[in-house]
Amino acid sequence: MSRLPDLLPLAHALVARKDLPIPTWLFAWGASLVLIVSFFALSVAWRTPRFEEDRWRPLGAGLSRALLGIPAQVVCGAIGVFLLGVAIYAGLRGTEAPDRNFALTFLFVTAWLGFPVFSVIFGDVFRPFNPWRAVGRVVGGAFTAFAGQRPAHLRYPERLGRWPAAIGLIAVVWLEIVYGSSGGVAVGLSPHSAAVAALFYSAYALAMMAIFGVEEWCARGEIFSVYFGMFSQLGSFAVRDGRLGRRLPLAAATHWATVPGSAAVVIASIATTSFDGAQEGAFKGGLESTFERLVDAGLGLTSALRLTDTIFMLLTFAGVALVYLIGVRGMSTVEGAPPFKKLRSGFAHTLIPIAFAYLVAHYFSLFVFQEQAQFTYLLSDPLGTTTTDLFGTASGGIDFRALSSNAIWYVQVGALIVGHVTGLTLAHDRATAYWGDYRQAARSQYWMLAVMVAFTCFGLYLLSVANG
Amino acid sequence: MDEAILLPLAHAGHWLWVLYLPPVLIVVGSIIRAKLAERRRRRSDTDRSTD
Repeated sequence: MSRLPDLLPLAHALVARKDLPIPTWLFAWGASLVLIVSFFALSVAWRTPRFEEDRWRPLGAGLSRALLGIPAQVVCGAIGVFLLGVAIYAGLRGTEAPDRNFALTFLFVTAWLGFPVFSVIFGDVFRPFNPWRAVGRVVGGAFTAFAGQRPAHLRYPERLGRWPAAIGLIAVVWLEIVYGSSGGVAVGLSPHSAAVAALFYSAYALAMMAIFGVEEWCARGEIFSVYFGMFSQLGSFAVRDGRLGRRLPLAAATHWATVPGSAAVVIASIATTSFDGAQEGAFKGGLESTFERLVDAGLGLTSALRLTDTIFMLLTFAGVALVYLIGVRGMSTVEGAPPFKKLRSGFAHTLIPIAFAYLVAHYFSLFVFQEQAQFTYLLSDPLGTTTTDLFGTASGGIDFRALSSNAIWYVQVGALIVGHVTGLTLAHDRATAYWGDYRQAARSQYWMLAVMVAFTCFGLYLLSVANG
Repeated sequence: MDEAILLPLAHAGHWLWVLYLPPVLIVVGSIIRAKLAERRRRRSDTDRSTD
């Protein structure tokens, strides 16, 4: 087994599938059938809302003390700051080969894809490890100790809500796959650019924390806190008033989207993942023709490539938002419907499981393969200069036979089906709360069924083309 | 001549996305049909009550 070649010839799909029992499009039909059957089962059996009530129960006080006490907070915060520091240092001082440098795999695979998974399972695990929150709290504490008073902050504008995080989320993905676009590599961004971007973001995040307060900014504007926190709403673990507790899985999601801009965050998540998948296949023709037109119009090659990708990324965002809004608009025509605005924010949380499903489906194989690199040669030789072997694993590599192409496809299909059925369940539950009468609620959900079937078929189409 | 024979096959793959549409069209069609039936029923109820 050898180390990776300089340019990793994989993005999110790996090799073509072989010997599937049925054509890939039939999987879309099958998945749609599962959704339709689930819809009718929900309509008949789910007559009262079950997720609206906040049933949080604390776990043992000793466990909370051990996991949430000051020593744990200090250790977790220090680990977060240390790892961010290593990533920035590796990016600035290490090799420019994207696959050999610790920075890119750590920032864009281990952290970016790992935290959503761990957040769903264990709750908001990013919060204690958030390096900017840790630094902000230390600085705030030092200020309080020296000045004898807590730092004064501006009031965060309610209207802004989570919009800064939504825009930031698009910007992060834009940086990774549009700015760093170099064709066919897992993360095309140069390690140096990623490190510089991390430094700029750190300065921005700390400045915002100084202006609005650490916790306020983390709850509303800090991209990673909001993004990973969104996925943690699906799980059953949560911290309240300094105590760890359990709640009904999915229940917390019902209250998450009440803040303005929340729908934009979850739509941005689905759209950026879709665009990343589509640019390898479904959008290829459109991207090429737009690129050629822009080049013909006199733009330089890099500018034309970036502008093309930017246009398509924004169009994908608009497309995903449009499908959701059509569903909401349809619901608003059903007798007894709440106002459109209430429906628009009231059903946004039903897209969170879909965003998670898209993430798993599109990046599952990338994560499994790249983590082998992360925990072997990237850990021992973070700079990628072959000068260090910290843990004796510098000669390790990636075993691409760890997953068969068919296994990847089945995980992708499974993730999409489970994600969409979960979304449908959340939507039905919210409808029973809004409409009261379960029959009327079911009628309103025809529209959400259409949205879910559309997202499922679109997702499977993207994957089939990308993997084809 | 060769091109003419290869062309339809080469382009068949470009239309594969059409096969992903029927489930969406069936659900959307069912909704529209149900909506129209409901509207028709409501209109006939109104006509009956006016008579």
